[in-house]
Amino acid sequence: MDTVVLIEAFFWTALAVTLYVYVGYPTLLAAWARLAPKPVHRSPVTPPISIIIAARNEAASLQARIENLLASDYPSELMQIIVVSDGSTDPTADILAFYKGQVDSVLLPPGGKACALNAGVEVATHDVLVFTDARQSFAPDALRALVAPLADPHVGGVSGELLLDCESGGGTSTIGEGVGAYWKYEKWLRKQESLIGSTLGSTGAIHALRRELWQPLPPETILDDVLAPMQVVLSGARVVFEGSARAYDRVAPEAAAEFQRKTRTLAGNYQILRLQPRLLLPFVNPVWLQFISHKLGRLLVPYALFLLFICSAALSARHPIYAVAFAGQVAFYGLAAYGAVLDRRGRAIEADIT
Amino acid sequence: MSAIIQRLARVSFTFVMMNVAAVSGLVSLSLGRRVWR
Repeated sequence: MDTVVLIEAFFWTALAVTLYVYVGYPTLLAAWARLAPKPVHRSPVTPPISIIIAARNEAASLQARIENLLASDYPSELMQIIVVSDGSTDPTADILAFYKGQVDSVLLPPGGKACALNAGVEVATHDVLVFTDARQSFAPDALRALVAPLADPHVGGVSGELLLDCESGGGTSTIGEGVGAYWKYEKWLRKQESLIGSTLGSTGAIHALRRELWQPLPPETILDDVLAPMQVVLSGARVVFEGSARAYDRVAPEAAAEFQRKTRTLAGNYQILRLQPRLLLPFVNPVWLQFISHKLGRLLVPYALFLLFICSAALSARHPIYAVAFAGQVAFYGLAAYGAVLDRRGRAIEADIT
Repeated sequence: MSAIIQRLARVSFTFVMMNVAAVSGLVSLSLGRRVWR
């Protein structure tokens, strides 16, 4: 085959993948959710719940986290709080000793979050499991809102909404503003996916599962909040998004920390394919199209973008359309470089202030 | 106008960073680096 034809084929394929993931799929999803939504029958139920927190060296935030849960408007007699310390070497154990009687504690040697969650579920006494982290806080009515969709027997899991302090925009934090915009977009996708069936994972900061649908996590699991809900989806139940169940968190303030967090998340998405290859089978995975378009598509886009850049550079002298595509990408990456400068400048200002 | 460009620059930077992180995630997983706690 002619080399130019081959490069053109790569260009158009890469463009199609990128456009489908960021334009085509969201458009399809919006239309699908509008034309054929699957309603969830919510009721103000208050089943007994076991709240599980896996913590490693979270003493600084643990007390506030426990107080926040105790201040919830959920009936305290229906609420078991379990904190699993995963090899903490800070005063976590002292804090847990202080709350003895109100909080069930499990002290483990370091084994990773998945092992800690498995241990937490083992001591859970109730049929609804609620998972959260030590760092966030809940709105007072978050737990009631979180379990309301479980009144629907088809619902096996519920993801709440995590509100980041950077979502409102503004400030000097470049990464905060960018992540806030990304997170809003991501939550919009999750809402639409929930409307037509199931979300493709939950928010680790606030989600609930029926205990009967829980399957212990492999110890190496990176994304427990994707694997556990996807196992529920594969069992045939729905996992839905509940926007009125709110948790609050701060975004990692520095680009390096956020980069590390994203690396972990995306490594976890690759790992999910290895841990649950059934997700790739259309007749087994009830949300196959959404999974391929959202999760797999996100993993493919970086390579598509690279290919797009190389191919448009190679073809830019052959046709104006490729020259325009190349110029557009150069402008975009130039803008991103300016964003990096703004981030560096913002951090320098913060360092001066502090 | 400048504020809009700065906002676009911030979002573009984050978008690029997330795509680089996707590649970095695959590399980390392939090399068996610990990316979880």
